[in-house]
Order: sequence, then C-alpha cells, then structure tokens
Amino acid sequence: MTSDAGHEKATKKHRDLEPPVRRLDDETVVVKVDAQGAGGRPVHYRILNSLIRKLMVDGVKHIVLEGVMGQRYIASTASRKDLYIEIHGTPGNNLGAFLDGPTIEVFGNAQDQTGNTMNSGKIIVHGNTWDVTGLAARGGTILIRGNTGYRVGIHMKEYAGTKPTLVVGGTAKDFLGEYMAGGTVIVLDLNGDGKRSPVGHNLGAGIHGGKLFIRGNLEKHQLGPGATMGQVTDEDIPELEIALQEFEKAFKRTVPRNWENWVKVQPTSSRPFSGHYDPTCV
Amino acid sequence: MSPSNSSKKRLELEAPERFRPLVDYDLCKRCKKCVNECSFRALEFVDGMVKPVGGCVACGRCINVCPAQAIEIHQVPSQFPPHANFNERVRRAIMSQASSGGVLLTSCGTDVPYPVMFDEMLLDAAQVTNPAIDPLREPVETMTYVGGRRGQLELNDEGDRFSMGDDPAPVVGMDMPIMIGHISLGSVSYNAQKALFMAAKELNILAGSGEGGLHKDFHPFAGNVVSEVASGRFGVTGDYLKRTAAVEIKIGQGAKPGHGGHLPGEKVSALISQTRMIPLGTDALSPYPHHDIYSIEDLQQLISLVKESTEYKVPVGVKIAAVHNVGAIASGIVRAGADFITIDGFRGGTGSTPRIIRDHVGLPIEVAISVVDQRLTKEGLRNRVTVFAGGSIRSSADMIKAIALGADAVMVCTAAMVAMGCRVCQQCHRGVCSWGIATQREELVSRLDPDVASARVVRLFSSWNEELKEVMGAMGIDSVESLVGNRDRLRYFGPNSKIAEIMGVKHVGEGWG
Amino acid sequence: MRIPREGCDEHIVPRDITSQVNQPIEEHYGATRPPKLQYQMGGCGIAGCMDLSGGRLSGDKIAKMLETMGERENGLGAGYACYGLFPEHRDDYCLQFLFDNEDVRCRAEELLESTGTVTKEERVYTRRVKSMRPPFPLVWRYFFRPDPKVEWCGRTDLSDDDLIVQLAMHINAEMPGAICVSSGKDTAVFKGNGYSYEIAEFYDLSRYSGQMWISHSRFPTNSPAWWGGAHPLSILDWAVCHNGEITSYGINRKLVEMAGYRCSVLTDTEVVTYLWDLLVRKQRLPIPIAAFALAPWYHSDIQRLDPESARLAKWIRITYKEAFLNGPFSIIVGRREPEVTMIALADRKKLRPLLVGKSSDDKILYTASEECAVRVVDQNAETWTPNAGSPMIARVGRGILRDGTEQPFTGVRI
Repeated sequence: MTSDAGHEKATKKHRDLEPPVRRLDDETVVVKVDAQGAGGRPVHYRILNSLIRKLMVDGVKHIVLEGVMGQRYIASTASRKDLYIEIHGTPGNNLGAFLDGPTIEVFGNAQDQTGNTMNSGKIIVHGNTWDVTGLAARGGTILIRGNTGYRVGIHMKEYAGTKPTLVVGGTAKDFLGEYMAGGTVIVLDLNGDGKRSPVGHNLGAGIHGGKLFIRGNLEKHQLGPGATMGQVTDEDIPELEIALQEFEKAFKRTVPRNWENWVKVQPTSSRPFSGHYDPTCV
Repeated sequence: MSPSNSSKKRLELEAPERFRPLVDYDLCKRCKKCVNECSFRALEFVDGMVKPVGGCVACGRCINVCPAQAIEIHQVPSQFPPHANFNERVRRAIMSQASSGGVLLTSCGTDVPYPVMFDEMLLDAAQVTNPAIDPLREPVETMTYVGGRRGQLELNDEGDRFSMGDDPAPVVGMDMPIMIGHISLGSVSYNAQKALFMAAKELNILAGSGEGGLHKDFHPFAGNVVSEVASGRFGVTGDYLKRTAAVEIKIGQGAKPGHGGHLPGEKVSALISQTRMIPLGTDALSPYPHHDIYSIEDLQQLISLVKESTEYKVPVGVKIAAVHNVGAIASGIVRAGADFITIDGFRGGTGSTPRIIRDHVGLPIEVAISVVDQRLTKEGLRNRVTVFAGGSIRSSADMIKAIALGADAVMVCTAAMVAMGCRVCQQCHRGVCSWGIATQREELVSRLDPDVASARVVRLFSSWNEELKEVMGAMGIDSVESLVGNRDRLRYFGPNSKIAEIMGVKHVGEGWG
Repeated sequence: MRIPREGCDEHIVPRDITSQVNQPIEEHYGATRPPKLQYQMGGCGIAGCMDLSGGRLSGDKIAKMLETMGERENGLGAGYACYGLFPEHRDDYCLQFLFDNEDVRCRAEELLESTGTVTKEERVYTRRVKSMRPPFPLVWRYFFRPDPKVEWCGRTDLSDDDLIVQLAMHINAEMPGAICVSSGKDTAVFKGNGYSYEIAEFYDLSRYSGQMWISHSRFPTNSPAWWGGAHPLSILDWAVCHNGEITSYGINRKLVEMAGYRCSVLTDTEVVTYLWDLLVRKQRLPIPIAAFALAPWYHSDIQRLDPESARLAKWIRITYKEAFLNGPFSIIVGRREPEVTMIALADRKKLRPLLVGKSSDDKILYTASEECAVRVVDQNAETWTPNAGSPMIARVGRGILRDGTEQPFTGVRI
C-alpha cells in the first residue's frame, strides 16, 4: 500500500467514523453525535471537534449537536463571531475553552472547566456547570441557569474595556473568584430561601481587580484574604443591568432588583500582599 | 574560675586577642557611647580618643550604638604559626588550662564545624501529579496540639446524636509548631524572660520557664508557659506546677548531656538568690541526675507524681538530651506515661556549660529525631505522644526539615535570643552580656526593652510560620499534621549515604517507593 | 489510540490523537508484583451505582458509566466491585484470587484448607479479549468459612474478620504470584490490567447482578502495569475506588502498619482501605466520624460550629491526626456489613471531581467523576455534588442517609 493510498484509506475510515450530519439549509447543520455507528461506542472528541471545525470553515453558522455525551473540548478555540452552536446532551470538560467569538448554548448540564481561558463569545447553560468554570477568562459572557461548583471564576482578567462576565442563576461553592484580576461575577440564588449564603468560603481569595455581586447573605468570615464587602452603589447598576438583562433574555426568568439584599465584593487593594515579603537583601 | 578583669592581663600574657575593635577617627564623634556600652571593658577613652584595650569578644554592641558607624570589629589574624592539627583553638585551650587548671567553661551552642545534616537535605515540591497549594490565598494550617494523644476516641452511645464524654486527656494548642525553649531566669535577665513570655502569649505558643521557677510578675503569662522540673528543683512548688500550661521534667539538655543546670555565681544576683532560694553569688550547679530517678520506673513514678499533683489537668512531658540510645530511651519514656517528649540535640545552646561536654557529647538532632520517630512507630507508640525537636533550629528551613524528619513541633532558643540582640559571642557564662540578655547586672538588663524585644521575636516566628506555609503549600500539603514524619519529602544530598539510611531519608535521585 | 473491541473493525484515528499517554510499555505483570515496584500514582475515573430498594443491577450499567469517561483511563488497569451478588452464599467469605500459575494456587488452597472450610470453589468465568495483553492470571473464587479454633501466629482469639484480614495480607505479602483481590462476604472484585470495557468484557460482567457496583479506571503515570495494582483495593467487604493522590501517604501508612496491617500493593489507595477498616470496623467509629478524621474541616470552620460539635471535631483531629488524608482525592467506598452501603467523599478543598445522582423514582443512586457517566445510563437523573470534606452515605433499604451537604455531626447516626 503506497503512503498515499494508506492516507486515503485512513481518511476514509476517519470519515466513516464521523457521526451523521444532516443539513437543514445553507447555514444550519444537525450532527447526531450519539448515533450508533462506529462499533457502538461514543464518538471520540477528536472526530467530533474536527468535524465542527470543518463545518465552521465551510461557513455553517448554526451547528446543532444532538446526543452529546461527555465529549471534551467542544468548540475549543472556535473563533467565528457569527457561529452559534446548540448542544443537546452533556458536553464534557473544557467546553468552549479559549473561545473567541461564537455563542454556545447547552440544553442540559455542562461539566468541569466550562469556558476555560475564554477570550470572547458567549456560553449559555440551561442547567448546572460544575467546577472550574470560567478559569482565567479574559472576556465574553458565561450565563448559567442553575448552580456551579468549586473554584469558579479563578484569575479572570480584564484590560481597557475587554472584560469577562459570569452570571450564575443559582449558587456557587468555595473559592469563587479566587485571584480575580478583573471582570464581574454575579450570583443570583434565584432558587434559594434568602437565608443560606449562596456562596461558600474563601470568596475572592487574593482578589486584586474586578468585582463580585452576590444576591443574598454573605458573612465576613466567608471572604478570602484581600477581599472586602460593601453595598451595591449607583455606579454599579448600569453594568449590572446589562448582565441581568442578558440573563433574563436567555433563560426567560426575572431577577429581582432588590439591591439592598445584594452584597458587592471587591479588592481591598491592587497589591494585597505587599507587607508579606522582606525585600532587603541580607 | 572564669575570666574577669584580672584575667585580661592573664590572657594578654598567654593568648593573643581574637578581636579588636577598630575606630575610624575621621568619623568618630567622641561621644563615648561605645566606651560606656562595652560591658567587657574592651574600649577606653584615652588622650581624647577611643582606644581598644583588649578583651573584645565581638558582641557587636559598640557597632550598634555608634552614631557615626565609625567602628569595625576586626578579627585578628591568627598569631600562631599555622598548623592544621594543632590548630589555634587547641593551642589556646592548652594555654588557658595550663594557667587555670580548670574545666573550660563556655556558652551558646557548639562552634565546632561538625557536618550539619539540615544543610545536606533538600525538600520536595508538588508538580503535576498533585497540586501545589497557594498559602497566600488558600488555607494552610499550622495549628499544633501538645499532649492529648490516646490513639482512639470513645464516643457516647446516644442514639442519633454524636457526642463524646469528657476530654480524654489534657491538651494545649499552639498556633504554630514552635515552642520557645527553656531559658531560665538566671541564665537570662528578667527583661529577657519577660520579652519571651510576652512573645509566646502574642503568638499563642508555649515558652519554657527554664530551671529558675516562675517569677510572680510573670504569672499573667502562665497560660503560655511550660514549667520545668529539673534536678535542682528550683522554684518547683505545687502552685508552680498547677499554674502553668504544661510541665516538663528535664532529664537533660542537648548542650550538656549528662550534666545538670549551671548558673555561675556572677549571675546569682539578689533577684536570683530570692527566686531560687540559694545564697547570693554562689554557683548554682544542679545535680546531674534527678536524685529520685535512677531508672525508668522511677521516671514513671515522677511523671505520675506530677500528674497527680496537677490533678491531670495539664500535659506532662520529659526532655532528654539526644544521646546514642535515644530511640530506646524515648520508647521507655512514652511507656512511662509522658504526654510529650522533647529531644534536644547536641548543637543546642546554653547559658553555661563545660566546653568538653558541649563540643564532644551527644547526637545531632536530625538523626535523633528520625531515630525516635522510627522507633516509636515500630513499637506502635508514635500516636501516643507529641514529640518536640530542639538543638540549633536556626531557620524555618531547619524547622521544616525537623518536622519532616519526625517532630510534631520544634523548640527554639538561640534564634529567639538573636532576634532580641544576641550575637552568639559565647560569653553568656560571664554574666556581662552587653545586650542585657544573659546578665543580671541592673545597668545592663535595663538596656533590653521587653516591648521592643518581644515584638522582634514575634515577627521572627511569624515569618518562619509563613515560610513553613510556603513550603507546605509547595509540597501540596495543607496542614502540618501531614508533614510530621513525612520523610518521603526529604532527600539527602550529602556525602554519607549511611546517614541517610539511618535517618530513613532517601538519597537525591531516588523516587517514591 | 483506542484499542477496538473484539470482533470490531479497528478504529484508526490520527496518530497524535491521544489524550492518553503513548507509553512504550514493555512489561506487564499478572499477579506477581513487578520487581522494584515503585509507588504508583496517577489520575483515574471512578463510578458507582446502587439500587436503594434492594433490587439488582447488572454489570452492564456500571461498565457503561465507566466507559463514557474513557478519557480518564489509559488502559493500564480497571476494576469493578460488586455487592450483594451471592445471596445463596451470604454467610461465607468470598475470597477471590489472581494466581499466576497452578502451583501457587494449590499452595494458597492448602493454606485455606488448613485454616477453615472451603464450602465451594470455582474458576471465575473469563473470556479472551483480543486486545488485552498477557499475562492473564487464573482467577479463582473460594467460598470460605474460617475455623474459629484455628491458631494464627500463636493467637487463637482472632475474630473471623481479623483472621480473614491476616490471611489475605499474608498471601499478598508472602506468596509471590498470588493476590487476594477481595475477601468479603457476598462481595467480589473483578479487576485487571486493561481498559474498563476490556475488563468488563473479560469477566463478562453482564452475567452478574448485585445491589451495588463501584468501579475504577486507571491512568497510572508510571509503569509497569500489574493486575494487583488496579482498583478497587479491597479488604474484607471494604472496597475503595480512588481518584487523586494522597500526599500524606507515608504518615497514613505508618498508622495502619502500627495497627498491624501490611502494605503490599504500594499505592495510597491500599492505605485508604485499611484506614476505613481500622477506624470503622476495629475502632467502631460511626462512618461520619471516620470520614471527618480522613477529611477534617479547617480549624477556622470548626470554631464556627456549636460548642459540642467543635469540641468533638477538635478531638477527632487530635486523636486521628495520622489518619488525615492530605492531597486531592475523591473516593467511593463500598461496604457490605451490616447492609450494603456506599460512601462518597471528596477532600476538603474538593480538588477532584465527584458527583452524586439519583433516578427520578429515588430508587437508583449514582456516583461518578463526571456527569456524563450518570446521564448515559439515566437521562432524567437529578445530580449534585457533595461538599468538600462531607460524605455522602447511602444504604440499601434506607436510602440516602447523608447527601453530602450537611453539617458534620448532625443527622442520622450510621
């Protein structure tokens, strides 16, 4: 078998493993990810993602993925601003990692590392996400209808107007906004009773830029080093409105604007650990 | 017989000076501060100039007080013809003893350059397979409990609720795994001890009272003090035992294994005479053994006596010098009922000791603590006792390595003194410490401000604790319990692999296994 | 590269596909511990399912759960523990072994016969899976009753459980080529060196059904691979599936060795298994107390509990400081006595993923490292994560007793 023929055979086999694709019109394509081909086993993420990339390059603007079950890295580095990816099922870890423009909407729960280091774009999850959502995000928006887990929004950053926004409709757990250097995190606790705090401990540990807004109870002991809490001010409201309206539009839910029950968390300084080190050279 | 002013002449005849303060006369302001502050009378103001007159010990006080930075202590080059074997130290000792006929006395820890195993070991860090933890932003716990170890917890049988009965054993908590070691009132001044107790209280750790009892002025600090039952039984009353947070029976001390406490007459002032109830100016030489402990069952008896006398309210422990059979001895002490054991290595400091003992007797703490930890584990006893390691813990690196080798906590003395001003000039036994630490002379003691000194000790140990957290975080450990005896986190980098084997530490390059 | 299932076409995927390590593995071992075996570490996937009503679940379900998380394994080990699968032998210890040869099997059998009665023995059903690499140990099962009067190392006062523990550890440490992989009543562990679906195929798990299954797929970062090193690690009816790395391994190991356990598998999971046996069976601590000892709360959080709980928490930390499992971990632990029980616990910073789910009729409980493992077998399950350091405990016939979001010492005493 010559190497060309071998490559041809491999490519053909590769194509044979791709899940079936149905074109609805010029711009819309439906991929049945869990079709029982390929030996009855789940489609490997590599095949799925390479298919998605191909569709993107081909100019498809709307990709529907049905039956997603744990495939990782979906739409990672995807960069067409007019691309819309609709996901039915449970996408695996690192959904939309390094995302730079497209909109991803998940009808189900997502897993860990959703929106990892994303640059721009939008991720909407009609369900929960788990741990490490929005890690190191530099821009874009993540909207979560339900709850999120541990270590969410770590080291989000912003610069000159480009900033990430993360809105959680339910609750979040410990280490929310740790090392934050910029961006906005909003936790709404829409299903809560208003008594139990919707966030955990070590909130904003080491925060030196950016802000968090918590709709609900927050006690001082929940704050991490470098974080301080206060009231929502008039200056905050325009920015909050933009984020909340996006949330409401995406999930068709109303968010109470009872600002007196909201807490704002921000850095005590941009250099919270300056007293910690001894710079004399002995 | 210890050196004094008259002996200055003797030394002039016999052995050359080791240090000479040099004054830059262009800078010197003739304020005479150095002359007044030098307690060793090594400087005099003669013919309108500050002149060295012999006897300088490089304590550094003059440099510290000179407003013009005009003084430099010059280490005088050896005046002896060079000889690698009959080195300067040996020849000076011979000359001194030929003159005095006495046992050479000294203080501080040994200055003989034995290998320091702490400096031959490297620590581990986490990479990839488990994450490092960031102590600035994530909790890393250093709380350490002393005592209270019973191996099993009994719960009440109460239907659906979880509860326990009374506290199973007395226990004391420390915010960090550091204890300020026993430094007696007598070996150090009132102000110095006050500073140490203030620091212990501020840091919420323990400080040892040493062999001199607890002055009633220091009763407010008793909740952070470990009292000492040493062979001289100075100040050991029922009240003393009951008042303090823990009691330690001192069998030995690392700097002078086999010896008892030694307080030269120069330091037995009116205050000391009163607190220890001995004649003014006498040498307070504690007996070498406790004369009611001649074997292990006697120690058990004394421990039980102390526990009974304190109504089982405080942990009772034992301090031993690290000697060759330290593993077996430690095992015996745990079986005798001790709640905690302190192992004191041979490099530890002291206010006064015969140099022959200090420099040539004992075992280094690195080896001793590993051996004790391994032996107690082998005998199923390690989780019944808290183990302290002391004897020249100079830095946070030493502390971390000592804990990894097997100690629950470390005992630190000399470093705390250096924080207060000590320069480790080895003259404590003479009682003329120019920093006001190792002296009883009022005019010298008043130089030490307890508030300033205690703040310095607090800052020192706080920064060590932060460094402990930095290293633990780098290793992926978030609580100090998981560092104690975790010798897998150390690698030996030195020339002697047998030592590594004995310590139970792998050699650099060896992986897990 | 995905190794295909027997009978299927090979899956050819571009060469640089692997999220799995492309290891040039030269050596594989069966029941013999590899020479110079070093402490093994790595990442993994874990999953469990349980029928809370006491019904039976086939092995297919758990295999599918694990397989969906295929990115978490690299083919160097997987295993399944099943509980409640031998109701007709309920009172006999089911000792399941891997033997490298007939000779060592006979020696092990002799030892068993000299310490008790073998009520039934059989070769465990296995079948050839083309893609698995040799060696393939013999897998054997003995239903066993220890003789209450037998003397072991000079002692005649050992309880049945303690004697079985001694037997199993003795065989593992002293008989090269023999590994006792499970030793509980009405419990069996099926594990080996291969992908999770290969192991499921090898043992034909669909022929077994039990009230509870827990499982594990490995991603070890150092070779060589051997059958004994796969999870679950089991002693008596304890089985532990563990994802993560215990940085306090040396200290935990010293504690269990002081209590008489012998570590022969050289993974941190082995020590976790012995710790559960030591704390819950031998020292009779209730499960939530044992879980607190293994994953204690921070002192700062303890201070905020009510005084009685704070005191209890403090004393658990003081007494059991060597049992503290430091480092990232999520574990699923199974137990048979007194009823089939599942415990799921994550470290106190929740550095490893752990998910719990239950079916909409509240009958089936799921645990897994990733949500997709639950969704693939139950689209409508409700899922949540237990809090860091807070155990989820469920028991057949009694339901979910703790869901992992409670305060440490409240609720049902188990």
